[in-house]
Amino acid sequence: MSASADKRSAYADRRADAGPPFFDLLRLPGVGWFLRQRWARLGMQIPLLLLSVVLVWHGFLGPDLAPKNLATLLTWVHYRGLLVLVLLVAGNFFCMACPFLLPREIARWIFRPVWNWPVRLRNKWLAVALFVLLLFAYEYFGLWSTPFWTAWLIVAYFAGALVVDALFRHASFCKWVCPIGQFNFLASTLSPLEVAVRDLNQCVECRTKDCICGPPASETAADAGRLALPLLAKRGCELALFQPMKVGNLDCTFCLDCVHACPHDNVGLVTRMPGAELAAEEPRSGLGNPLTRPDLAALAIVFTFGALLNAFGMVSPVYVLQAWLSGVLGTTERAPILAILFAVALIVEPVLLLGLAAWWTRRATGTALSLPRLATRYAYSLVPLGFGVWLAHYAFHFLTGALTVVPVLQNALAEIGWPVLGQPNWEFTGMRSGSVFVLELGFLTLGLVGSWIVAIRLARKDQPSAPWRAYLSWVVLQSILWAAAIWLLAQPMEMRGTFLGD
Amino acid sequence: MKMMQRFLVFLAIAPMTILVPSGCSKSSTDGAPDVKVELRMSPDPPTVGQGTATVTLTDKDGGPLRGATLKLEGNMNHAGMKPVFADAKELDPGKYEASVNLTMGGDWFFLIDAVLADGRRLKRKIDVPGVKSR
Ligand code: SF4
Ligand code: SF4
Ligand SMILES: [Cu+2]
Repeated sequence: MSASADKRSAYADRRADAGPPFFDLLRLPGVGWFLRQRWARLGMQIPLLLLSVVLVWHGFLGPDLAPKNLATLLTWVHYRGLLVLVLLVAGNFFCMACPFLLPREIARWIFRPVWNWPVRLRNKWLAVALFVLLLFAYEYFGLWSTPFWTAWLIVAYFAGALVVDALFRHASFCKWVCPIGQFNFLASTLSPLEVAVRDLNQCVECRTKDCICGPPASETAADAGRLALPLLAKRGCELALFQPMKVGNLDCTFCLDCVHACPHDNVGLVTRMPGAELAAEEPRSGLGNPLTRPDLAALAIVFTFGALLNAFGMVSPVYVLQAWLSGVLGTTERAPILAILFAVALIVEPVLLLGLAAWWTRRATGTALSLPRLATRYAYSLVPLGFGVWLAHYAFHFLTGALTVVPVLQNALAEIGWPVLGQPNWEFTGMRSGSVFVLELGFLTLGLVGSWIVAIRLARKDQPSAPWRAYLSWVVLQSILWAAAIWLLAQPMEMRGTFLGD
Repeated sequence: MKMMQRFLVFLAIAPMTILVPSGCSKSSTDGAPDVKVELRMSPDPPTVGQGTATVTLTDKDGGPLRGATLKLEGNMNHAGMKPVFADAKELDPGKYEASVNLTMGGDWFFLIDAVLADGRRLKRKIDVPGVKSR
């Protein structure tokens, strides 16, 4: 076997035999042209940074009324809603345009980080904890109802990214810390677009591997005189994803550094089968095999059950439950009550349900895999459903409330004495919740079918002769969660910050 | 030299991320802080749907304040919903009533904007938490 044939098999990717990609966004005129420019990311980050400054300013100094404040409105209605919708129809474009990274780029002019992220923390456990903490803070502070804390959250994000990335090299914040990033990584496994090589054979011939190593020193030196260099520097993937060995969207921020770095113009933004990567077994660059990684599986579980918990937090039964807990515990302190709710929803419930499903699979198939390993493996089959729940929930808020931005903006400008948009017209709202409910059902069902398919694909590998033995329990579990989600979203909404003591 | 230049750019931009929140939110100023405002909802506890808001205005000696023109604006405490507006009518001396439609369960607040008989402008925010969904 020749060396290059050897490499080719090492680079074997599902795409290798699939031929050239069917659609490549980067080849389009317009959008494609824009994204091919080295300043494309910067060109999206700068407006979003300015917008963040406006949000923080309004959050701190504008009206302390969530429905009239840009910080609460744009963060909890628009940003979240657009985020999930763009992930559904395209890909991780919000990481691509993320403004939190801009101060960090600027800081790196001065502080050249010298440390590498600690080896012990090179897993998703910290991010899992922060993700849960964010969900907890959301309920505890009633973030959706307070412009002040929402503004603080934005500031904390900027500060976090700045500090972590001023100290540690590469994209440590994105890869190991940022809870929104992890959300986007998981959700983007269901996206139709992916950053991938166009022609694997080109990679086999490639000597320099700029997509991961960054451009050769000579090229960097030639650029070095320019002031703008650090912001527009070519570099290899900061998330340790080596193109020819990259599978899927996990851990990819769509930063397009690899696109700009590859000297052979061999990286595209191409279509693929959404969700297929959730059942992909081959080792991935920068990730290993997710199907054997408990930390990533925990993330998938928290992502799915967190979606249900987050939706549960705004329907009326949650208050009945909380009032009951409050009576049982004899306290009106919210923290312990919420903590119990979180522990049940994000630990007890998943352990029981996934344990049971894994137990059935083990019994029915006689596999040698332990229960935790089975649960880890099949946890990824919950991700499509989890994404469906996030989608249904956030699309609901977005679609029913998107247009309120018009009067809120009018009001904000009028209050600073510059009513260029006229007096607020509060008639603007959005779609009726009845028609959005149909859409919600669609998202949930799409998610359920996606989850079934992932489970069945995994089961086909595990038990080729009788896959149903392996997937039955998972399909049942997913269907139960789906039914629970429908029940949840059909409940009367009751968005409350103060559930006790009134 | 270049270091200096970079440092200055950084200095200029860094505060954006470390914005010290100055001052608290200012709600539009209330021109009659001595007036006592009470809001009662019926049904009580408030429930989704058509209901009545009764506002009582009393002066600092507890006497009713007649002849005010009073507007109500109901909002939920989260963003993305249409506010409800209502003009209140004085039924009994100092007692103003408006019919309001609470469109969703959850925490509400009402902004009360009144022009008093003496010409002063009163502005208050009163919470109406826990509107029951049906
Ligand atoms: S630099 Fe380009 S051609 Fe070389 S390995 Fe990376 S993607 Fe392939
Ligand atoms: S450089 Fe890495 S993170 Fe950025 S788009 Fe390429 S693969 Fe994704
Ligand atoms: Cu909600």
